[in-house]
Amino acid sequence: MQTEPGCGFFSHTPRSVCSPEGFHSDERLMVESASQFTKGEVLPLAERLDRQEEGLMPELIRKAGELGFCGVDTPEAYGGLGQSKALATRILEFLSLDASFSVTLGVTSGIAQLGLTLFGNESQKTEHLPALASGEKIGAYCLSEPNSGTDALGLETKAVRDGDDWLLTGSKMWISNAKWAETFLVLAKVDGEQVTAFVVNRDTPGLTVAREEHKLGLKGSSTARVELEAARVPGKDLVYEVGKGHHVALNALNIGRLKLAAMSIGPVRAALFHGTGYAQERKQFGTFISDFGLVRKKFADAAAWFYGAETAIYRTCGLLDEVFGASDGSTAGNRAAAEEYAVECSACKVLATEAEARIIDEMLQVFGGFGFTEEFPLARLYRDARVSRIYEGTNEINRAFIADRLARRIASGHALGGSANDSFVAELAGKALPRVGDHQEQVGAMSDLLMLQYAVQGTAVRSAAQGGLAAMANSRFVNWANGEAARAYQVVTGESVTLPAPGPAYTDELASGVLELRGPI
Amino acid sequence: MKIVVPIKRVVDPYAKVKPLADGTGLDVAGVKFEINPFDEIAMEEAVRIKERDPSTYTVAVSIGGPECEEQLRKALAIGADEAVLIETTDGLDASVIAAELVAFVQEVAPDIVLMGKQSTDDDSNQVGQMMAAMLGWPQATFACKLTPGVGEVTVDRETDSGEESLRMKTPCVVTTDLRMNQPRYIALPGIIKARSKPLAKRGRGTSASPRVRLTHLAALPPRPPGRKVASVDELLTELKSRGLV
Repeated sequence: MQTEPGCGFFSHTPRSVCSPEGFHSDERLMVESASQFTKGEVLPLAERLDRQEEGLMPELIRKAGELGFCGVDTPEAYGGLGQSKALATRILEFLSLDASFSVTLGVTSGIAQLGLTLFGNESQKTEHLPALASGEKIGAYCLSEPNSGTDALGLETKAVRDGDDWLLTGSKMWISNAKWAETFLVLAKVDGEQVTAFVVNRDTPGLTVAREEHKLGLKGSSTARVELEAARVPGKDLVYEVGKGHHVALNALNIGRLKLAAMSIGPVRAALFHGTGYAQERKQFGTFISDFGLVRKKFADAAAWFYGAETAIYRTCGLLDEVFGASDGSTAGNRAAAEEYAVECSACKVLATEAEARIIDEMLQVFGGFGFTEEFPLARLYRDARVSRIYEGTNEINRAFIADRLARRIASGHALGGSANDSFVAELAGKALPRVGDHQEQVGAMSDLLMLQYAVQGTAVRSAAQGGLAAMANSRFVNWANGEAARAYQVVTGESVTLPAPGPAYTDELASGVLELRGPI
Repeated sequence: MKIVVPIKRVVDPYAKVKPLADGTGLDVAGVKFEINPFDEIAMEEAVRIKERDPSTYTVAVSIGGPECEEQLRKALAIGADEAVLIETTDGLDASVIAAELVAFVQEVAPDIVLMGKQSTDDDSNQVGQMMAAMLGWPQATFACKLTPGVGEVTVDRETDSGEESLRMKTPCVVTTDLRMNQPRYIALPGIIKARSKPLAKRGRGTSASPRVRLTHLAALPPRPPGRKVASVDELLTELKSRGLV
């Protein structure tokens, strides 16, 4: 049994958390290789990728696949490298400096495979996973429809039995990788109500890919509708069981959300690189703008927010690695493992995508008017980042979910009801929990308290082992989290709350660290 | 064909480093270490030779503390068949390193010693040449192309007067220049495979002692600030007054 069960953070302080400092030297070498690949092969093509130059992206995915990047945590038995979620996620983070590339890679190495990895039978896994893990084929995940987005299980695509085959009819929308994918995981309903998953090849008669969406950002990634008109799928390609497709779809998304969190802080690395470079070149009033206090504040905030998000992400990866390590590898075991940390995965998604939004917004501000032009790199990063808070479950549905799920786990005895009270945030969370009303605004604020509790608990434990700049980032992060928590507490309870005295903000120390490293501390 | 590739662990050439306050060395706390980039080029070339001729066997060797294992594992991940660490905490200079490598090479008996022309930390550019002299082997330094033949190699090298092509008998020493190749991105399966490749540790093979001693290390004094002059005439007057023109 794992040391920290799902939602265990609420009532219990861990002795240690998984974090990137704990990687072995050969794991760090893998991350370094990913970083060099991104800088050498992806970033120089960013503008050409954005124009969707024919063949460029699939070629890049093929190259990434040759190096092992499309199957880091795919089981070895199916052509992957069988590495930990923590390492696979870290590698993905460093492959995510360009968001168009990362969403393409993230989907084909993540949610396009996960349904099969967790729920596919032996012959399905043997047939499909090796080509996806090697980058030889690109995968896609087809859940959303024109009338069912956040309400994912309200989908209308029909699956009708025809002899040994199934005929799929419907329209799938917002399908990442649609243009390039050869393997689609498709969700449809049998008898109008039983959600069922299928793996569908591109050359299936009746499957067509419509024109590309004209998007605000991620222009280099492919997003299009997949139309199914009595697409004939052999019976062997039904994944898991009729009526159990929601487990396939939603558990892939649990882990997908965690991966997306890492894919959201990857571009922050790029934004900080550009922002710190510009601030140390640009002079106003005869002074480099990196010397002005209000600019330094932005870098210090970025260090703290990044540290908070990064800590939550790798802590959650560590928990997943433990629970999957302890699982017997059966479909039931996989399902239980993928569900266990659904709250933590959602918390990472919200924490990371909102940190991404704030930091990239502030780095654009560092560029002043130049940031507002497409001549400079921040405009694209800003546009690309916007979708992070929308896809893989909007931040709103995640906020509606987190507090609700904790309450259910407590009610069913799967989590303890008393707060760990190991921080000011935790105390507020403990006091607020019994007072959450029905209004989504209160539920969302309660979720904020829980996410902040999860984050500051992680940064406290992690930074105590690291010291130095990490301890400073923790101090600043806690100050910020306390303020956010007080606001959320007031929303839940309608009562005022007094903030504790702030710890040191370390504005100049953190800013100097970020400016020197040209990235997060 | 057998190729020995000496690998040096150096401070990341892009890292900012400061001398220790007492001038006895560099402050390397928290600094990243890499394979000397010229040695990485040599390792890459050895692996490319092996890819063309699978009978080739490559051995990476390093001298230093246990931390050098990290760079040897990287060499194995690039594709070395075997790695050896000559483990020591003794002070080393070029002559000691050359003597140790010579002792090692005499035992392993490679056809080629392929190594960086110099290391990016102290830029001494001596070890390859010293080894060739001690071994009595032919050498080609600053190589930009290496073509192995039967019992001989052809080496192209860039010089101030143009490109030279040398042919020499093996065994020999070849030191690599920057243009020989572009090292590959290291594939993740290669890193995993490297975990199970042999990495042997042994003590020193000679009692050679350094001929060079570091007496003091200091940062360059900061450059005094310049000032702007209004005209060419003012510049000339200023230069003349200082006796510079």
